[in-house]
Amino acid sequence: MSNVSADLIWEISRLQNAYLVKRKTGGAPQFSRDPLNLANQHSRKYAGYVNDKAVGISANEKGAVQVKSKKAGSGNKPASGVHTVTYGGNKTSRKTYKAVANQVAKNGYRADLRDVAVSRVSAIRRSQRAVKPTPEQKLRGNAAKRAAAKQ
Amino acid sequence: MASRPTVTVIGADGKATGATEVLPKVFSAPIRPDIVKHVHTGMNKNKRQPYSVSEKAGHQTSAESWGTGRAVARIPRVSGGGTHRAGQAAFGNMCRSGRMFAPTKIWRKWHVKINQNQKRFATASALAASAVAPLLMARGHKVETVPEVPLVIDSSAVAGEALAKTAAALGLLKAVGAGADVEKVKMSKKVRAGKGKLRGRRHRQRRGPLVVYSTETDGKDLVKGFRNIPGVETCPVDALNLLQLAPGGHLGRFVIWTSAAIKQLDAVYDSKKGFFLPSSVVEQADLTRLINSSEIQSVLRGPKGEARTKRGHVQKKNPLKNKQVQLRLNPYAKAFAQEKLGEVKADEGKPKTVTVDFKVQLHEV
Repeated sequence: MSNVSADLIWEISRLQNAYLVKRKTGGAPQFSRDPLNLANQHSRKYAGYVNDKAVGISANEKGAVQVKSKKAGSGNKPASGVHTVTYGGNKTSRKTYKAVANQVAKNGYRADLRDVAVSRVSAIRRSQRAVKPTPEQKLRGNAAKRAAAKQ
Repeated sequence: MASRPTVTVIGADGKATGATEVLPKVFSAPIRPDIVKHVHTGMNKNKRQPYSVSEKAGHQTSAESWGTGRAVARIPRVSGGGTHRAGQAAFGNMCRSGRMFAPTKIWRKWHVKINQNQKRFATASALAASAVAPLLMARGHKVETVPEVPLVIDSSAVAGEALAKTAAALGLLKAVGAGADVEKVKMSKKVRAGKGKLRGRRHRQRRGPLVVYSTETDGKDLVKGFRNIPGVETCPVDALNLLQLAPGGHLGRFVIWTSAAIKQLDAVYDSKKGFFLPSSVVEQADLTRLINSSEIQSVLRGPKGEARTKRGHVQKKNPLKNKQVQLRLNPYAKAFAQEKLGEVKADEGKPKTVTVDFKVQLHEV
């Protein structure tokens, strides 16, 4: 396997793989269901299963964010080859962004994924916020007059 | 990826036994999806049952053409009377109850011959791909919990009656981290779309792990243990089949080896007369590494031009508004602006009266 590289794996699995989602409408975008794909886009840069170093970010319970990253060089040890860090929900978003950005981009990991990682964390944090109840609609016009007269 | 000549052997409890096996040479064969696909297409055709329509279909009538002159088409028509059928067109593929166009025959070419060396190449290629975890994931196998790929299980956990029962076999699969893949298969069972339902192919489901064993050491009892687990297939190491190693022509089947099987694999390939394992054309397939290697970098010329290059044709800027562009066209503009020459009045009061001498000079007096 000395000659199996990420480039080769990509070329083999580019046209057809289990994560690939093809849509025919809307400009036929190609998406990816890969858990280690930050942009959910089918592309060489974001393909987590292909690259030696890859990051996956997902929501965790209680507003926490889970960051998974591949350990470089342990490509054939799937069980032990993934590093998991959880950033708790009590942390401010800004601090979580900073922490995730540092984890992704520093130490020669994947500096090219910094902004995508942060925007994914941001989207996850936004989705975890409680939904505000829509205020009851005020009566207008004749309906309001009638309601006032009743009282 | 670094060269990995050995693989750890996993015990029945899912933990490494400490023993390692040297990876057989097949695993360094080049991975060629094109060859695998081509061979698979051919091989997949070799188990077909011949079918055809009845030889007599559409011809079981004594129809004859009425010829010209009766203001109907010259197609053969059913003779006689007393029934609706009489006078109807027959035989032609365009006719109701006629024969089909080009009736299918059982002597169609059902089988495809593939060169043996090609088949062996494809099998070797599929085996090599089965040792690459990303390709397994790309094929859809759930191998996230598997300790190592290729997954080798100690033969002592398999041999004899150990796995004769399905519960024991399933327990082993779960212990070694293959439970998720089996579960995936179980959940994937769907009723097939179309006519296949009526033809003995009612359901379709994913493929799970393929267990490869050595008949001599491991015996055949494990086959019974595994055969009722959905998606799991078994195969003796000396009868490896491309249809199992690359189902659908897609590389990267999840293969579980017994340690005896992986030990035997080299001997299996040595015994194939006249076949030499293919070797890769390039030793280093990592493009980034190739580009950044000193061999390549040393023969490349440096980048031409300045660190910052001037743009060629750009959008025209208005020199009256854009000061930088104005300066380029009119270097005096800076001094003009600094000294505020634009604000200086040209008018310096009334013109001075000229002397008489001057007027004389001009012959105006």
